[in-house]
Amino acid sequence: MIVIDTWLYGELASYAGEDAQPGFAQLKIELPDGATMQDLLDEIDLPTELRGITFINGNLSAMPGKQHDLTQELKDQDRVALFHLRSMWPYQYRQGAAMLDSFNDEIQKDGDRGIHHAFNG
Amino acid sequence: MWFLRINMKDRTHQLTEVPEKYKKLAGRSLTSNLIADEVPPLAHPLGPNNKLVFSPGFVTGTSAPSSSRISVGGKSPLTGGIKESNAGTPWAWKLGRMRIKALIVEGQPEDKGEFWGLVIGLDKETGQPTLEWFDATEFTGQDAYDVYPMVFKKFEGRRVSVCGIGMASEHAYGNAGVIFEDMSQNPSRFAGRGGLGSVMGSKGLKFILLDDAGAPGVEIADKELFDEGRKKLAAALNEHAITKPKGGLNTYGTAVLVNILNEAGGLPTRNFSRGRFENAAKIAGEAIFDGVKERLGEERYNHACSPGCIIRCSNTWYRKDKSEHVSCVEYESDWAFGANLEIDDLDTISELVKLCNGYGLDTIETGVTLGVAMEAGVLPFGDGEAAIEMVHKMGKGEPIGRILGSGTGTAGKILGVVRTPAVKGQGMPAYEPRAVKGIGITYATSTMGADHTAGYTIAPEILAVMDDLDPLSKEGKIALSRAFQATTAFIDTSGHCLFIAFAILDIASGYQGMIDEVNGVLGTKWTADDILELGTEVLRVERKFNEAAGIGKQADRIPEFMHTEPLPPHNVVFEIDEETLDKVYGEL
Ligand code: SF4
Repeated sequence: MIVIDTWLYGELASYAGEDAQPGFAQLKIELPDGATMQDLLDEIDLPTELRGITFINGNLSAMPGKQHDLTQELKDQDRVALFHLRSMWPYQYRQGAAMLDSFNDEIQKDGDRGIHHAFNG
Repeated sequence: MWFLRINMKDRTHQLTEVPEKYKKLAGRSLTSNLIADEVPPLAHPLGPNNKLVFSPGFVTGTSAPSSSRISVGGKSPLTGGIKESNAGTPWAWKLGRMRIKALIVEGQPEDKGEFWGLVIGLDKETGQPTLEWFDATEFTGQDAYDVYPMVFKKFEGRRVSVCGIGMASEHAYGNAGVIFEDMSQNPSRFAGRGGLGSVMGSKGLKFILLDDAGAPGVEIADKELFDEGRKKLAAALNEHAITKPKGGLNTYGTAVLVNILNEAGGLPTRNFSRGRFENAAKIAGEAIFDGVKERLGEERYNHACSPGCIIRCSNTWYRKDKSEHVSCVEYESDWAFGANLEIDDLDTISELVKLCNGYGLDTIETGVTLGVAMEAGVLPFGDGEAAIEMVHKMGKGEPIGRILGSGTGTAGKILGVVRTPAVKGQGMPAYEPRAVKGIGITYATSTMGADHTAGYTIAPEILAVMDDLDPLSKEGKIALSRAFQATTAFIDTSGHCLFIAFAILDIASGYQGMIDEVNGVLGTKWTADDILELGTEVLRVERKFNEAAGIGKQADRIPEFMHTEPLPPHNVVFEIDEETLDKVYGEL
């Protein structure tokens, strides 16, 4: 088994039920070895389209409309942060920040190299 | 359109038509050009040869959305260089409607402790600006939250808006903002950065009131084009997830960034010694929204700081007894007093914001300087009561308060702190350059000192041109920072709030809308390239002034400790070399 330090922000905190605090929730989620981001979302019953900006251990792994991290395998004690769709991270405050390699690869394929807030698929 | 010059040596004034040279400038482009043309670069910022210039943007005072911004310019007592600081306020809207393109305050009285108030109105017959003076000495030495209601009372029955300074400016601090009223007549909107409040104080000017009765409104050369532009921009703002009603900013305010930067490991914590604060979620925008809901028993969406804003990002924090504590707790203030000082209580943070507003202190500079003082052991990290007491000492002008009031760079020197997060003497805002390297380039090279609003956005057209450039490569970073800074200089010239940037970057018709609005007002045919060039020219003018003032490329540096101390949790240093930094302005 692995344990994932899971943070839910804004309205997503309601997926933590009674564990929610004002504005956020922190959960320790147990998953089988080899579990992925999709497994984590399934475990907390959170449809992937309701999450936006996502981090795994401080590395950006998803943005609204760009969610290639569903197959990302998680490790024991990983910190996963899931944000609601009203959150934002303007490019000028994001440029040069840490990203998951797979996310970076996706961004590089875009003509605009990830400068926008939302992506169309 | 008028140029109104006030000489504080003898309180005389001069009213002229706008000189040809300045007709196609406004906001930041006008304040910076006037300062560069008229202030000797080596003038003392608090001496008689510095000037203070107020200018509304091109569309300020019109129905263009989110455009009631005022630019304030002068030579900065904090950085020693040129400064433009801006605020959203009804005052800006009125100045635009009164057709005063530039208000230039010059000279200073021979008698030091003199403080004056000025009311600018309009002559009913001629439509020309008129001036009335009043002795404002009785309003000095007091909290702005007490003074502003007295001033409004004094002019009861007239539609006045108030711009003023607080006690911090009376003490001539490098950390002292110009205070403008918000929509509820509170002294809460600041042209905060760079100590321009002290420039106003050095001239013996305590208040500038605007009475816009009979104001003709902004002259619009091509109404149809303007309306088209206004509608395009409004549509973009109403559509985008961040800027639309009940969207990100309207719900959570700018403090929505707290959790994001914290997760990214880029939220400066404990005086920039870590990039993550374990209690950040308790002070973030989401916690403010839910906390207010809990205290009031209902949801509260944010309000506008100034007339005509669609985005409405300004929040309010309430006390347990449901009374209003302060507006607004925005991201930078929340962070400066929160993560940076390791304070995790919104009531304490709100009190610190309120005290700064009341004393006329810039919240960012105050929080960053307190972080340095905590590092020096003057007061403990995490001690909210001690922080509150220290801000009182700053406001009241006690000796330690004066040291801290001089700003982050100077206080760090006096207190012997190596980890002093400042560029050109100005305290660094809430984005860690080691974790977010792009902003580091802007912090280092901006003409303004460490400034998070100096590089805000970029035109979609420019992006297209940069297609072959990897934004994370050296060349890409240089080109991007330059384009960011130039486009931002234009938005600060247009009169729009920078937060329109989120929408216009994603929705190209919104960007075009902004350009159409400006062309509509001026009767010009500017393209996206033209406005980029205008923005670039502003940067050149500012840079030239700074170089003549002794602030050259050697000052375009990130503090040394950021190159050597790895920042947890990513354990990274700032590794952009000097040659790269020098290219941003070297090839402007
Ligand atoms: S977006 Fe916020 S800061 Fe900008 S004008 Fe509107 S209320 Fe003011």
